[in-house]
Amino acid sequence: MSVQGAAVVEVKGLGKAYGKAQVLSDVSFGINAGECFGLLGPNGAGKSTLIKVIYGVVARSQGDVRVLGLDPQVDGKELRRHLGVVMQDDALDEAMTVRDNMLMFCRFHGIKGQEAAKRVDGLLESMSLSAKSGSKISALSGGMRRRLAFVRSLLSNPKVLILDEPTTGLDPAVRHALWDKIRELRRGGTTTILTTHYMDEAEVLCDRLVVIDQGRIKIQGNPKQLIQDHCLGYVGIFNQNETLSGNTVRQEYASIDAFTSEMKHGVRQAGVIRPANLEDVFLKLTGRDLKEND
Amino acid sequence: MTSRLKSFGESIRLSGLVALRHWLVFRRDFFANVSPTLVDPFLYILVFGAWLGTQMQSAGPRSYLEFMAPGIAAMTALFTSFFEGSYGFYVRLVYENVFKALMTTPVGPREVLFGELIWLGSKGAIMASFVSLVLVIMGVAKPNYLLLTPLMGLLIGVSCGAIGLLACTFVKNINQFQAVYAWIISPMFFVSGMFVPTAAMPAMIQKVCWLSPFYHGVQLAQATLWAEGVLSAWIIHGSILACMAGLLATWMWHRIYPQLYG
Repeated sequence: MSVQGAAVVEVKGLGKAYGKAQVLSDVSFGINAGECFGLLGPNGAGKSTLIKVIYGVVARSQGDVRVLGLDPQVDGKELRRHLGVVMQDDALDEAMTVRDNMLMFCRFHGIKGQEAAKRVDGLLESMSLSAKSGSKISALSGGMRRRLAFVRSLLSNPKVLILDEPTTGLDPAVRHALWDKIRELRRGGTTTILTTHYMDEAEVLCDRLVVIDQGRIKIQGNPKQLIQDHCLGYVGIFNQNETLSGNTVRQEYASIDAFTSEMKHGVRQAGVIRPANLEDVFLKLTGRDLKEND
Repeated sequence: MTSRLKSFGESIRLSGLVALRHWLVFRRDFFANVSPTLVDPFLYILVFGAWLGTQMQSAGPRSYLEFMAPGIAAMTALFTSFFEGSYGFYVRLVYENVFKALMTTPVGPREVLFGELIWLGSKGAIMASFVSLVLVIMGVAKPNYLLLTPLMGLLIGVSCGAIGLLACTFVKNINQFQAVYAWIISPMFFVSGMFVPTAAMPAMIQKVCWLSPFYHGVQLAQATLWAEGVLSAWIIHGSILACMAGLLATWMWHRIYPQLYG
């Protein structure tokens, strides 16, 4: 296992172009061992391309990338022995049962016999999937599929875990179960790279993050620190024309008192206030909502 | 050097596992998957060989059924590999995201493609050998060179399977494989010398036939299962078919590799 704090992922001046379309430009960051690192940005920002470059299935056009000291473009096969990857679309083998999906992945990772059976059983148990061991993938709910994709990525005891929107579309209970598992892995020293649309997820799980927009890093740092540095503390949301269907207006406040005072004096007619979050940071930096491209 | 050899060995192991994955999936629905391989040759033997053949005057030393029998073994390898390479691969690539998942493990694009070729070649070899064995048992093919039929099936399987894989890089949706089948596979099948000796065809067609891997596969099958001119057939048609398999596989490799590894 890597030493806590040592650089596990180093990305320098990374660029990726598909023909004339520049998907990533001058992306640079580092991830230390044991960190949970977030990649945030709207759909089409380049997050998925970036993680594919990191685990070595997309070639970079410019720059340099090192993961666990290896160049993913040259040593992808060796690198992926030490990685666990959960993709956006589960990509489970529909033609196989839950257990066979796991056992097939064991084979690819060179895990055999009793050891494979032990790991499969343990991981299925850890995500309450043992009862579904013999079921076909089509018999699983969305949450179960996601949990299976998650535990499948853990079969190789990965040093780095890459999670591409791991909780999208999941109900809160499954979401929290996955969060707990991610935290547990982190405590065990696993480095995690996480892409997500959910600001609360990034705030709760990530030690540091980068916000990517149109292939470029807009900002990076600790989530709470970023909010503190760029927002006043609270954000009031108001409907512009005082109807539920009207366009919303955001207004920052240093305190809840400032908001209630405005409401009392009739400056605003109706609205809600909440703590500032990463979405407000993104909006402030780009002038656009994080979900605008969804 | 040792690490290169080790890496090569590991690559072969992973490619074999990709083929094993396809076999395990194939096995789950075994009856449905082998049905065309079993029923089609039987129908060809029955309708063309046994029924239509008796209505035709034989121009050579063998009955029409005996004439056509080797082509049925070759046909089995053609269809099993082409459909697996085209529809099968396309479904795995586009709809099932199988390779996307595999490539989160040490498997890379090289192992995916080599695994496909192992799978296509193996299917061609096994199916062609099985049908050849049945033809020998039925007494319409000679057993002398039966041991060569797996190699024959392998060569047809890789070359025709590679055509299917290549087609995956040209079609815009799964429906368009019908055009590939109609304009490439069907002509290759009917003008192969399987139903009618190519000598009976116009001179130009006879020349064009040499561009078809299936034509060489049928010539190989006929020589092998008639036990006539086996050595010269393997030297000429076997070599050409092997070269075609290599060329088509290389072309396919260059077309699909960038799709798997952006």
